[in-house]
Amino acid sequence: MTGFFIRRIVQAAVVVLLVTMITFILLRAIPGNVAVAILGPGSFRNPALIAAFNREYGFDQPWFDQYLLWLRHLVEGNLGFSWTLDQPVASLLGSHLPKTIILVGMATILALVVAVPIGLWQAVRRNRLVDYTFTGFSLLFYAAPSFFVGTVLILVFSVKLHIFGPEGPQGGLVSDLTDWRDMTLPVLTLALITMALFSRYMRSAVLDNITEDYVRTARAKGASPRRVLFRHVLRNSLIPIATLLGLSIPYIMSGALITESVYNYPGMGYLFFKAAQQQDYPTLLGFVIVVAVAVVVGSLLADIAYAILDPRVRYTRS
Amino acid sequence: MHPKQWRGHRGLRFRAAAVCAAAALALGVAACSSSGSTGNSAASGGTKVAGGTATWALNPSAVPNYIFPFASSTYFSTVNFEEFQYLMFRPLYWFGNGASPTLNTSLSLADAPVYHGRTVTITMKGWKWSNGETIDAQDLMFWMNMMKAVAHQDWGDYVPGLFPDDVTDIKVVNSSELTMTMTKSYNTTWFTYNELSQLTPMPLAWDRTATGPSDCAANEADCAKVYGYLDSQSKSMSSWVSSPIWSIVDGPWKLASFNPDGNSSFVPNPKYSGPVKPTLAKFVEEPFTTESAEYNVLQAGAAGGQKLDVGYLPTTDAPDKPANAAVGANPVSGYTLAPLVQWAINYFPVNMQSSTGNGPVNRQLYFRQALQYLMNQKAIIDGPLHGYGSYTVGPVGTYPATNYLSPQGQQGDPFPFNLAKAKSLLTSHGWKVVPNGVSTCQAPSLCGPGIAQGHQLVFNLPYATGVNWISSEMTQLQSNASLIGIKLNLEPKPFDQVVAIGAPNCKVAGTSCDWDMANWGGGWSFVPDYYPSGETLFASGSGANSGGYTNAENDALINQSLTTNSLTPLYNWQNFLATQLPFVWQPNGPYAMTEVANNLHGVLPQSTTGNLNPETWFFVK
Repeated sequence: MTGFFIRRIVQAAVVVLLVTMITFILLRAIPGNVAVAILGPGSFRNPALIAAFNREYGFDQPWFDQYLLWLRHLVEGNLGFSWTLDQPVASLLGSHLPKTIILVGMATILALVVAVPIGLWQAVRRNRLVDYTFTGFSLLFYAAPSFFVGTVLILVFSVKLHIFGPEGPQGGLVSDLTDWRDMTLPVLTLALITMALFSRYMRSAVLDNITEDYVRTARAKGASPRRVLFRHVLRNSLIPIATLLGLSIPYIMSGALITESVYNYPGMGYLFFKAAQQQDYPTLLGFVIVVAVAVVVGSLLADIAYAILDPRVRYTRS
Repeated sequence: MHPKQWRGHRGLRFRAAAVCAAAALALGVAACSSSGSTGNSAASGGTKVAGGTATWALNPSAVPNYIFPFASSTYFSTVNFEEFQYLMFRPLYWFGNGASPTLNTSLSLADAPVYHGRTVTITMKGWKWSNGETIDAQDLMFWMNMMKAVAHQDWGDYVPGLFPDDVTDIKVVNSSELTMTMTKSYNTTWFTYNELSQLTPMPLAWDRTATGPSDCAANEADCAKVYGYLDSQSKSMSSWVSSPIWSIVDGPWKLASFNPDGNSSFVPNPKYSGPVKPTLAKFVEEPFTTESAEYNVLQAGAAGGQKLDVGYLPTTDAPDKPANAAVGANPVSGYTLAPLVQWAINYFPVNMQSSTGNGPVNRQLYFRQALQYLMNQKAIIDGPLHGYGSYTVGPVGTYPATNYLSPQGQQGDPFPFNLAKAKSLLTSHGWKVVPNGVSTCQAPSLCGPGIAQGHQLVFNLPYATGVNWISSEMTQLQSNASLIGIKLNLEPKPFDQVVAIGAPNCKVAGTSCDWDMANWGGGWSFVPDYYPSGETLFASGSGANSGGYTNAENDALINQSLTTNSLTPLYNWQNFLATQLPFVWQPNGPYAMTEVANNLHGVLPQSTTGNLNPETWFFVK
């Protein structure tokens, strides 16, 4: 088991390294002069200023040297300095990441709380009206892009019905946790698309488990249908959901990015949006690091969770 | 974006119905013309209410990030100056009378400058800083010394040879009077509008470093360290509100709260000496990721629980403008629609220094004329701009109406869409025109120097994404060009990238010349260089001369316009350059389709210079 974890952690580190390298190369391949973009259009009048900028930030060096320098700083815990926001990238991430975590966390919890019972119900009532109905809604939200879902929700619940606000809370973390009127729609948007995914997997998992031998055995031993369903089937069906949760992180993060933009919510998506428009490479790289680490850790946790929840995995690997 | 900078897509706002100053009349400028609105309750009606909070929408992804008014090119932007700093720190001279881009002596910190030969005298009005001190000549000297010491490196509007290089012998005569001598006899209007417009007095409390008080106001040698200290303080955004430096203001507003995402609020400065004191209790600026996000909030507010008092309509959602009306039917109820068109020209450069192999083609006047004939300004204004744009007919803006535009310029587009003329220009210069294919040079002696036989008319054209009418215009131009065998390879890119590629004169700035044409969509706004002369944008070797156009006659005409107190040289120059096509002229679209809540008055007309004056706003009931 220990060897398994070590192998997975080493693999994760290599993946993160490759992601940063590819991102670094792609960012450097963007056409245009970074110095002019950062120093402002007026800087063209002063070639010395442009040269000084290039020297200071290593743009006069080959890309690989620039990458090694950035990597060295990263190892030292220095994610770089945002040219446009005049703040260390770590500080920017520190102020924006919690907001995204709150949004993603609330949406994921809501999605799980709703999707698990729905998936279970659909499986139990498979091929009936309720199953078809929820399947239809699941496919609709699964297929719909988050900006579309967000816009529709705003039009219905904010513009027409005036129940919720049209944008996310503009204050600090406290307002994110207390301003339910403005926080509801962003959370709901992200939850709906995530919910669709989870409920489909839950339905399939329950259907797979319900025909297993251990279920037949439990029934034969006289366990009530309710006990079989909640005590045996549900627990085993949650194993793939736990795995899915880890693997869904990139999906949820990308949804959050768009959702934050639609709802003008100042989290990581907002930061990424601004940085991308202003060629703020250090911030973009910082963002990529966070997402890459989140994805790799999510995948790692999924493997670990699977190994812990399903003893067969442990026994097989040992 | 700011002056002497290239204009972004969206932006600015309002300025109240300020007094139409005598200076404007003296210049014969059509002052106080509205930028167009439905003229409903945002302009009149209701009982004035003191207090209240007005929320104003910032442009997408544009937030203030610098508070020190002495800004380097990195921070030289509209969102930092007109939309943020000017609320607290006023420039020496204020430009904008209603919609007219003229000197407003009433709102300026000094009387209009007085010229005696080459000597300029500036007399301060004696207004007060919020700490009780008088805004005097020494405060202005503080700024001038800093300009002399660090402008070449750290003043975003610096152009070698111009301010402050074109003045000497700067003296504080007494506490209210400062004089300076121009290095030659300049056109006084140009000097006031383009040089003195850059000055901002600074309080002596700012004359310090981290270790204690300094003396930049009297000693230029101290200024670099003072600048370094103030620059570092300005970059510390989290400390702006509590800073003892930035809390000393001379504008009508003080900063009450700020976060680096751009959310900021202002409260009235009780010591403001100007003639128009704030009525609102608070003014709030709210940032937005996209214009769609802003529009959602605007629509939700219009339906009830108004959240934005002044916002904007995405251009794509603008209603078609009927021929005889200022605006079409407003899709947002409870608001007044008022398009803001800036004092600007719009164009995109054709790179005559291109290293792609197309430089020799771009240098040919007949080719640029053919391209201009393919630019259908009327179709763009009537179509994707929904009727709200104005024509660009040369190097001087057509809106608002000013007497800077020559009688010839007032006659309209000198190159109306004409496919036959464009084709004829190519065929008569040795090109084999292949409609819907690629035209090639068949007679190099006619095509022009440096153009080889078989050279194809294929060009790369990066353009800024995010503004739908620009995308439509580019597609239309591509289609028109293909009809005479000019292949334009359109490359949609973010605004900053297109500016970085195509805005600087690549030979001067040392940037890559590997581009043929580039369209960032916004052209150039005449702020804070309000006089539309050509020294910055069109003179040979100028850094902002994006395409590298060079012509001795043009340079001579520019020089005459800068040194003669008459509009005739300005007319002669623009008449010459309009048909020389250093750039491809394109329509000037609205800078913002502004929406003003009907219970908020004093917002219209908006300033075409982009200044924001919430001190004139008030709610009614």
